[in-house]
Amino acid sequence: MSEEFEPNIVAFLCNWCSYAGADLAGTSRTHYLPNVKIIRVMCSGRVNPLFLVNALQQGADGVLISGCHPGDCHYLEGNFFARRRFMLMRKLLEHVGVDPARVNMSWVSASEGAKFKDVVDEVVTKVKEVGPMDQFRRRQINW
Amino acid sequence: MVDEKKLQDKARETLSRDDVRRLIGWKRSTYGYEAAPAVLTDASEADQLIFDPTCVQNPASFISLEEKKPVPRGQEPDTRKIAVMVKGCDSRAIVQQLVEKAYNRDDVVVLGIPCIGVIDRRKAEKLFGETGKQVKAKVDKEKVAVDIGGDVKTVDRKDILMDKCLRCRYPNPLVSDFLLGDEVEKWADDDFADVDEFEKMTPEEKWKHWDEQLSKCIRCYSCKSVCPMCYCVECVVTQQKPQWTRRSTDISENAAYHLQRAWHLAGRCIECMECQRVCPVDIPIMELNRKMTREVKEMFDYEPGVDAEAEPLLASYNPQDPEDYIM
Repeated sequence: MSEEFEPNIVAFLCNWCSYAGADLAGTSRTHYLPNVKIIRVMCSGRVNPLFLVNALQQGADGVLISGCHPGDCHYLEGNFFARRRFMLMRKLLEHVGVDPARVNMSWVSASEGAKFKDVVDEVVTKVKEVGPMDQFRRRQINW
Repeated sequence: MVDEKKLQDKARETLSRDDVRRLIGWKRSTYGYEAAPAVLTDASEADQLIFDPTCVQNPASFISLEEKKPVPRGQEPDTRKIAVMVKGCDSRAIVQQLVEKAYNRDDVVVLGIPCIGVIDRRKAEKLFGETGKQVKAKVDKEKVAVDIGGDVKTVDRKDILMDKCLRCRYPNPLVSDFLLGDEVEKWADDDFADVDEFEKMTPEEKWKHWDEQLSKCIRCYSCKSVCPMCYCVECVVTQQKPQWTRRSTDISENAAYHLQRAWHLAGRCIECMECQRVCPVDIPIMELNRKMTREVKEMFDYEPGVDAEAEPLLASYNPQDPEDYIM
């Protein structure tokens, strides 16, 4: 059996826009790739960059953070903070040799089920190209 | 350079003030290329204070370290100030702590010292070997004269000063109540050539470099203990619930620790290079911080520790921030 590399993508979706967008993609029977594991957070501003490092440690090959479009945040400005944070975190990971294609961010609103499918497909293709994340994955899971 | 007599007189005067609790400065260490930090409470101790290029340590680290004990009922809390001697780079730490409201400007008395440069212990040990003798030093515009137990050696200052001094843009304190000595002229500039050099590597080479360096880490947490910006009462790396980084020293946890350390200093690091100086296994920690400093400057046009009125970088935003990678 030939085994093609199937990446693990952890997606942090904001409760108000992107999670609803993903829900819409599901209810409208859109086929998006099953590599993505969704974690619902209340706001993209809730996502601590430590989550990202931890996900990469524990077996994720790529991470997607998704929130409302700028200006549409339920909490008014959470996604603006998130944007600054992940811009920096991406550069930092790039500096230690982690391919920046592994860190993705997108703005998906509740009505953009089709866009969510496109985003997921693009992320999975990008991460497939760079291959499995084996740089600082945790080797001893039960220590 | 600073006249030591004048410095001690000013320290004595400051310590005898009723509203000053203690003074943090430098004193001669028993041996080696670095002076020891001195925490004085009495004016009579002031004559041990010194300032010369061996005074590397950043005294601004100590201000927020003091344990805040609960005040017994019926007693007033001690609201006296802390006096602290700072070089130009150390003063940026104070500015950044003020930006973050770690304490109020009225809680500290800042004795500023214009500085031309301080000695890098590692460079000195490479030149003259380790020493068990007391070291004094003098610096002028060209040379550094190092006096190792009476044996004076002169070297070009580019060969022995800390890297931060070779790209120092703030030789004069940015915040000070009293300036000890005359202001000095800025003689260096920062062009981030070291970061550019590093960026030429491919991702595989970068990871190979960090794999090698971070595997050495023994997680003594010296870098975070000495950092003037790491003053949280409970640090995220040592907290148990939730435990973000495990305590084992394998490359996974070490990388996670150093990434989160660099990340927490993004837009806050004032490049005093204390973390790299104290590292017992010589990890080039500043390479991570330098990268962050440059990105912060290029993307958000922000420089930490310069303007005490500024908003902290990550607690503010601009709707026009770059977002070229966002889908």
